[in-house]
Order: sequence, then C-alpha cells, then structure tokens
Amino acid sequence: MEPLLKVENLRIELKTRAGVAPVIDDLSFELGQGESISFVGESGCGKSMTALAIMGLLPEGIGRVASGRILFGGEDLTAASDRRLRDIRGNEISMIFQEPMTSLNPVYTVGEQIAEVLRAHQGLGQRAAWTMAAELLDAVRIPNPGRRIDDYPFQMSGGQRQRVMIAIALACKPKILIADEPTTALDVTVQAQIFDLLRDLRAQTGTSIIMITHDMGAVAEMAERMIVMYAGRKVEEGPVADVIAHARHPYTHGLISCVPHIVANLTEEREELTEVPGIVPGLGEFGQDMCLFSARCPRVTEKCRSARPPEAMLGGSQVSACWHAEEV
Amino acid sequence: MMPELLDVRNLSVRFPVGRKGTGWGQTSYLTAVDDISFTVRKGETLAIVGESGSGKTTAALAIAQLVAGETSGEVVLDGQDIMPAGRDQLRAMRRKVQVIFQDPYSSLNPRKRAEEIVREPLDNLTNKPAREKREIVDRLFQAVGLRPEQKRLFPHQFSGGQRQRIGIARALSTQPEVIICDEPVSALDVAVQAQILNLLRRLQSEFGLTYIFISHDLGVVQHMCDSVAVMYMGKIVEHADRLALFNNPQHPYTAALLSAVPSIDPTLRDHSKRILIPGDPPDPLNLPAGCRFVSRCPVAQLHCRELVPELTGNGTEHLTACHLVDADLVSPMQAVREAE
Repeated sequence: MEPLLKVENLRIELKTRAGVAPVIDDLSFELGQGESISFVGESGCGKSMTALAIMGLLPEGIGRVASGRILFGGEDLTAASDRRLRDIRGNEISMIFQEPMTSLNPVYTVGEQIAEVLRAHQGLGQRAAWTMAAELLDAVRIPNPGRRIDDYPFQMSGGQRQRVMIAIALACKPKILIADEPTTALDVTVQAQIFDLLRDLRAQTGTSIIMITHDMGAVAEMAERMIVMYAGRKVEEGPVADVIAHARHPYTHGLISCVPHIVANLTEEREELTEVPGIVPGLGEFGQDMCLFSARCPRVTEKCRSARPPEAMLGGSQVSACWHAEEV
Repeated sequence: MMPELLDVRNLSVRFPVGRKGTGWGQTSYLTAVDDISFTVRKGETLAIVGESGSGKTTAALAIAQLVAGETSGEVVLDGQDIMPAGRDQLRAMRRKVQVIFQDPYSSLNPRKRAEEIVREPLDNLTNKPAREKREIVDRLFQAVGLRPEQKRLFPHQFSGGQRQRIGIARALSTQPEVIICDEPVSALDVAVQAQILNLLRRLQSEFGLTYIFISHDLGVVQHMCDSVAVMYMGKIVEHADRLALFNNPQHPYTAALLSAVPSIDPTLRDHSKRILIPGDPPDPLNLPAGCRFVSRCPVAQLHCRELVPELTGNGTEHLTACHLVDADLVSPMQAVREAE
C-alpha cells in the first residue's frame, strides 16, 4: 500500500552568513495511515526543519528545498503552489507548536481562533463554526466549554492553551498532525493528560502523528517508530521498542543512556551518567563527507572521518548510519 | 549519620497583590510558601519537586534572601539564625549560601569576562588579596572543566553547557556551605545535562557540598538527591529519603506525579497504572479550605475538604500530609487501586 506521506532524498539548504548549509541532508522516510512516528535528537539537528518543510513553512528567502520530494498522497508538496499549500495546511496536515503561550493570538478569544479555521477551510457559516468550536473544546476536555469559548488565551493555563491548539489543529480532521515538542513547556501531570488526549484522538480519528521531541520517555509512550536525527542526517530508524532495547548507532545509545530515567525499583546504587562529550556541530560543518558524529563518538576510527556512512539495514527493521553499526 | 546543617522552620513567603474586590487601602496577599519546615544534612542533597507554581523556587530563594515578598520564619545554618540579616550579616550569609540559576543565558553578565564573573563574589563578599583571588579562580576553572585560556572570553563565546559551568564556578568561589541549584539543567540539551549533573555530583563528593536541588524532572531528582520534599501549592505534602519516596510514595499527589513521568522501561510502564489527576492546580488566591490537593485527589474524603492535614511521620522519618495516611486507615495508593 502506498504510504500516506513519503519523503525522498530531501535536502534543505539554509543561507547563512558563511554560505549555504544543508540543514537536512538526504533524508528519506515514510509515514503510514494512522501511524505514529517520532523524531528525536538534540536542538539544532534539523527535527523542526523537517516539520516546517512538510508544512511548506520554511523561512522565506533563507531556507529552500534544494532537492528531493515530499509526496503526500502521491502529490509532490515541494512543487505545489502557495495556494494549494495553504489549502493543505490546517486542512490535511496541521501542526501544534512547543509554546502554547506564543502560538495563540492574544487579542482574539479562543472561540474565534477555532472558528476561523473552520470558516476558512470548511466554509462553515459564523454560527455553525461557533457551535463546532464549542464541540471541539469539549472534545479536548476543557471543562465548561460553553463559557470558556469566550476566554482569551491569557485566561487559560498552559495545559488548556495547548488543548486549544490541539482543537485548532484537529478542527478539520487532518490526515497528519505534526506535534513539535508539544509538552516541553508543560508540567508532567499536564503532559500525561495531553498524551492521553492525543492517543484517544488518534484512536478516534485515525490521524497519523509525527511527534518531535528530545525525551526518549515521551517517544516510548507515544510512538511506534522513531527516527533519530543528528546534524541534519538520519542516523537511526526503527521500531521504538527495538531501538530502545538495542540502539545500533552510538548517538542513539548516548541519547538513551545520558538521561537519568525513572526506574521501578530504586536501589542505593547510583552510577555515573554516560556523557556524550561536546556539542552538536554548527551549521557550517554540516554536509561534509564524513560521519558528523565522529567528533563525539567513543568508537571513532579513521574511516569515520573520511567518508559518510551509508544507511544499513540491521535485523530486518532497524536502519543505522554508522560504519560500526554491526558492533554497537 | 551527618549532623543537620540547615534547619528551616516555619518558613512563609507572601506577596502583596492588587486585586479586584478589596477595599481602598487594603492589600491582599498571595501566599507562595506557607509555613514549611525541613532540614538538610551536611554533604547531602535535598531535592524540592513540584509543578510550576508550587512554590519550590520561592522557598529555596527565600533561604538565600533573594525574594522580594514578605518572608517570615527561621533559617538556621550551622546553629545560627541567618534570617534577620542586617547589611553586614547579609554579606556573611551570602558567602555561605550561593545559587546556581536555571538559565545560563540570562544569569551571566554579558559585558564581563568569564574570569570576572567567577571572581565577582570574591570581590564583593571577601577581602582577599588579588593574588589569592586569581589562584582561586584558576583552581575553579580547572574544577569545573574549563580551560585556562577561556578565562578571557565573554559569555556569548561559550555554549550553554560551558556557561552553566561558569555559573557553577561562580557559586563555588566563596566556598559556600549550601548551594541552591535552581533547575540547573532544564535549559540544557539532554546530552549536555549529563555532563553538568556528573560535574555537580563530582564536586559534591570532592568538596563535601550541600545542595538544595530544585527540579521538576523526577528522573534527574531520582539520580541526584538523598532526600526529597514534594511541594504542592506552597505546602510540603511529603518529605522522605530517596528510596522511601520513590519506592513507596505515600501521598496521592506524589504517586500521581511519579506515575505521570513517561518511561522507557517497559516493565515500569506495564506494572504501574497511570494515576491521572484531572485539571489544573487551584487558584493560589483562592485556596480550598482543607487539604489543597482535594480538588484533584482521586481518593478525597469528606473531611479532607474541611481539615488541613499536618505533615507528620507517626514516629518515622517519612513525613506525609494526608488524612488517609495520618489516620492509618488505608494507604492512598491502595485506595486508588481499589477505586478503579
């Protein structure tokens, strides 16, 4: 079956003062109907850029798709007109952002902001859109939706604002929902509520979810498959449980073991956390013909510095771009 | 067992707020920290956890006299009350209590060089000769893992993790007895977090430091702390040592908080049923009369609405503020499971 979204050899270039840098370098992946995948990596690895490229929202004049295709239901989004993209955005692919504080308009009530989407995309009238907005608020479990619909964003808590964002994103029953660090700004108890909500909505509507995060725990809870990004490249891809159980790329391994995870039966023992030394390289170093992780990698050899490792299939479902993937 | 270094008794912080409905000339108050008491032993780490708005940062900064609100209560450091500090006493107190801040981008003066930033507490709080100060700064740079040639650089020339190292060196410069770490890693990337957490633990064992560690990340807290105080709406609801709190949480809020953390451990995910607590914390200006958690508690009883529960341990070190635990009726967690 043809996947819902298919990204082929995508390369996105950003203009910087030092020249043109490939923020996304030869990325391919697929997303099936109703599937939930997750992009993981540190900041500056190109996770959000991938999302923006799918939405056709790359920063104008600075970023552009240099080569590759983004096929959505067979249609190439990189070649689509602005008008067509506007049609797709919010209607078939929608996005929620990290900061529910700044992504809502402070001078309109939340009801107006939800109704606007419905009027623009579904051609609903004023009153029908309003009724529908109240229903959506109810669907994202905001208590007393009839009254809260007249609230301005500042009158709501962070978790409620993120629910409103989800209501806006799901207003037109999109096929794909992109969630860019949807719970990073929220408390854990509220995060648990939001994850619960997203899972339920996905089960009801069959929407595919692309979640961008740096929290392995969140990935384990929410996604079926994950893609680990480093410096604009996919370094590992595979089913979440397999990757967590046995990461085949040193970077993935580092990401999992450098975080103190909460464990079931705590003992006196406390081991030092594994450090991944150094930081993500700057944009200027992207795109070189070498393994970009080599500077931080404990398994680095001469080969890693001289050629970019190809993506190799391991064990049937896991893909790793590492010269030493077999040994990891 | 180490002696108690810091003893906080009945600490309260309230902020005057303008509010509709109060008469002319009247002030109403928001009580951010309400009558909390705890102790920290020398060389250990006390973690204060809770959701945003629970008062954890305010409580810790009140110990360092860094809050603008009205503070009351006693803070006894090494047998000495450091609260009613005059100007001179305040200087002496600042030498003993230092802070590592959350955001390494805004907590360093962008117009000062790294060495000046680290030296500043020495300049302001001590009368050491210049040469000795230079030696101290050199030693600190080495201790936190910065290279000597980086001393002349400005903050913008460092990465986030390196900046946090400068912040740590600054906090160490006066050889303080207590260091308050206010979310020291939450602004950093995951891979850099591990570097800073390892550094903090290494420095602790090297210099015998005592930390008050504020964080909302329970994984980090589990790794760093020796004991934990859980705060909810300005009150401590549970206070116990590390193993007791994480393996056997007593208060329903603690249990809910722990179960909300997404985990990569599949056995933990399967075995622990997630306890969802609905809604948001109550309005801090309009708190419930009885237990503050009553509006979200899955096992609330009628009398929880009227009576404020005391923080007691029934003779043990595991302190909990919950009527259900108090009356020894039933473990709240047992009750949650039975309710389902």
